[in-house]
Amino acid sequence: MSHQAIRFELIMDAGNGAQKAGDILIGAFAKRGNYVYIEPMIPAEISPPKRTPYSMSGVVIRVADYDISNIGSGTDLMIVEHEILLDRRLIDKEYLPGSIVLLDLGDEAKNKEAYQQAKDKAIQAGLNLITFNMDDEAKKVMGELGGNGKNMFYLGMLTKIFNVSREQLETNIRSTFKKLPEEKLKLNLFIFDSGYRCASEMPVSFEIAAHPIEGDKLLMDGNTAISMGIIDAGIKMYCGYPITPASSIMHVLAKQFPQYGGMVHQAEDEISAIGSAIGSYYAGVPSVTATAGPGISLKQEFIGLATSTETPLIVIDVMRGGPSTGLPTKTEQSDLYTAIFGCHGDNTKVVLSVANVTDCFYAPHVARYLTEKLRVPVIVLSDYLSSVSYKVFERPALVEMNSVDDIPHTVLARFGLKPLGPVEMVKDDQSVPGEVGHTRRVTGLNTSSTGQIAYTSDSNIRSHDVRNQKIQVVREAFLTPEFIGDASGDVLVVAWGSTLGSLEEGVMMLRKEGLKVSGLHLKVVYPLPMMLKDLLKNFKHVITAEVAYGDNYKSSPLAMLLRAETLVDVKSTIGEPSGRPITPQEIVTKVKEVL
Amino acid sequence: MALATETKFTLKDYKAADPRWCTGCGDYGILVALRRFMADKQLNPASVVNISGIGCSGRIPHYMNTYGIHSIHGRAIPVAMGISLARPDLQLFIESGDGDALSIGGNHLIHGINKNFNCVFVMMDNQIYGLTKNQTSPTTRQGLATNTQPQGSWLKPINPVQFAMGLGASFVASTAEWLTSHIVEVIEAAYAHKGFSFVHVAQRCPKFNPTAWEAKESNWYSFLQHEKGVKADTKYGPDAAIIEHDPSDLGQAFKYAMMDHKHFGVYYQDTSKACYDDIVRSATDKAVKQPRSGLLDRFKI
Repeated sequence: MSHQAIRFELIMDAGNGAQKAGDILIGAFAKRGNYVYIEPMIPAEISPPKRTPYSMSGVVIRVADYDISNIGSGTDLMIVEHEILLDRRLIDKEYLPGSIVLLDLGDEAKNKEAYQQAKDKAIQAGLNLITFNMDDEAKKVMGELGGNGKNMFYLGMLTKIFNVSREQLETNIRSTFKKLPEEKLKLNLFIFDSGYRCASEMPVSFEIAAHPIEGDKLLMDGNTAISMGIIDAGIKMYCGYPITPASSIMHVLAKQFPQYGGMVHQAEDEISAIGSAIGSYYAGVPSVTATAGPGISLKQEFIGLATSTETPLIVIDVMRGGPSTGLPTKTEQSDLYTAIFGCHGDNTKVVLSVANVTDCFYAPHVARYLTEKLRVPVIVLSDYLSSVSYKVFERPALVEMNSVDDIPHTVLARFGLKPLGPVEMVKDDQSVPGEVGHTRRVTGLNTSSTGQIAYTSDSNIRSHDVRNQKIQVVREAFLTPEFIGDASGDVLVVAWGSTLGSLEEGVMMLRKEGLKVSGLHLKVVYPLPMMLKDLLKNFKHVITAEVAYGDNYKSSPLAMLLRAETLVDVKSTIGEPSGRPITPQEIVTKVKEVL
Repeated sequence: MALATETKFTLKDYKAADPRWCTGCGDYGILVALRRFMADKQLNPASVVNISGIGCSGRIPHYMNTYGIHSIHGRAIPVAMGISLARPDLQLFIESGDGDALSIGGNHLIHGINKNFNCVFVMMDNQIYGLTKNQTSPTTRQGLATNTQPQGSWLKPINPVQFAMGLGASFVASTAEWLTSHIVEVIEAAYAHKGFSFVHVAQRCPKFNPTAWEAKESNWYSFLQHEKGVKADTKYGPDAAIIEHDPSDLGQAFKYAMMDHKHFGVYYQDTSKACYDDIVRSATDKAVKQPRSGLLDRFKI
């Protein structure tokens, strides 16, 4: 039985409700037993002027009859609000040959020439262009709604095109807008039905087999999963400062955390947020801070203090495009060096990454386990793609962790680890304020094992040795990494973080063609397993897939790290800082160039 | 060394490592005052946390036999903020210098004052960067030659008391390290106040800024005295005038703060200002609790 997956897009001006329509629709897809993966496309500005290229906002949805792990290689169908957005979106070249474009002619009368140019461009690109108009009745109702409701028309079209139950959609619309007065709701549903009728006159229809949902499935995005993981991991304090795309973790926790005994502290800046997280953990209350982009740069000095004072610290970095303000609402994997090496002086830390929603849920548990056992900072690298992408997934087993010793071995194994061996500390006294008989004082200065300031060479060397031995304890806890495909062959593609889904799908496509290609995905990105060198040597070519910059003279971050640690000639072949995820097709194409 | 609860704590119980400050440094007076205050109040060293930034002031936690964090430059307040949210049972003392508090840590001071979380904030003001060796600080006297402004410090200094009151601090006092009783009483009043208690301490730096505070004379300052405030120190400040000042009078407090003539005592106190740490904690306390077993139910398809 061949599996089917369709990717479609709804592209509208920002503020016109494309994401809302997408959310309503995927709820219905999931309910009838389809697998979905949704990626919102959001401009960095809130409400840019409409009918401009930078107003482009929307959703990309991949819907399938099997469990999908990525947004796919290209778009089969798109609904576009007007010609400027079509012109803009075509630049990204994410469409498949012959894919369908449904263009709304609503603005054509005043922009005939521009429409013609955009239409010509779409046809030249080999797309199947179909135009449509909202009927006058629907337009009139939109007028009564103050110009709102166009997203309902498109939602109606998509509902018909994918043959989703109209009743289910009405249920979802009603629950989404439950605060809306009934008469306004009715107007929205009127527009929705107009869209439904409009699409029924079009020669466009997709059938995707729906299987009754087996087991217990959830629908969640990455940042929500991290927030829920924080609660389940027994963390009680969140300290943060608003920054895209990490903020939604704070939003979710601000609503939910108090019900589970947690607190959310909005600090005056990024530096203060991490300082308070350290204060809380020093005082014995597990805490976390999350940030992104410039925030991870600002936090570096305090990360060093946590290392020196042996105070547990969890920092979540939801990576976005850089340098500087970069691309706040686009994905990138370029904070790897910053996370591993970012602080002045020799700094010991563990860096985890998340590949999917389930990882997002369990990363806080593993981070808490590692940071409390080792008393070194643990950085969790997520990214924009993971943070906003919703996915249908198997309900993860709750841990309801109180002590880190509660952590199930299966949760550690998900990140390629087994329980840690014994860990030595720089300082003997690791007591918590309030413990009588101890008065533990900590400092960023070097100390002896008693905690007293020490400037002697031998004590400084000892501190470095002890801290680095902690990292060695992690190296010794690695399970042998599992390959996608065989443990030897012609090409090995190594990836980390959110590229796992595309890596799996791309490698499987290549293997189906009989090519000797394998994949290796790393979740703990620092330290690296000691056996890695031997594993990489079993392939003729080792290349990486990363959403990061690399060229012939400057390796992309993971490639550089692998080269340095293994002396294997790893090439950064796949990926570029496009702000868009790596697709399975991109992996297929680039690997074939290597072979 | 286990300290049984019935033990009476003596000055010695608060003493840790020997200080490494210069001879004649005003920090010694502040250190001793903190110890004396804690012994007077019988604070349990195990429930006291001293938190500092960087500079000569930053070393205080090392010398106090309590819990402590010698953190990073300018940022003791964020660390203390986290502790105060996590553990309201602990007594927090923040030690900061003029550069630490008003320059690199200025943003945190603004928000510490505004959040009014419960702690005693001791701002040790020697009007110079000492540990980095003689650079102009935000409180350096205009015209004073330093290593960074050898032509004479260019700007008029920031007035710390005015700064704190202008931001709405709920407790603002000023004292001097050589006024050995006054400083202890001021710290006591600050500790008794619930909220962010801002204590400015005039402090000598004989090494780099010997002309900053003339401790031998006392006619250049006055004491602000009140039954709700702190008594004048006539022993160490015999020539200082004594002014009755009601700490609830903010307008008058500003007038004293803005004069060239200095005033030591409690400038201002507002016991009605809400504490951020209480607000955040009570939001969590009041929330209807849910079992974690149902955490993911609302995400079910």
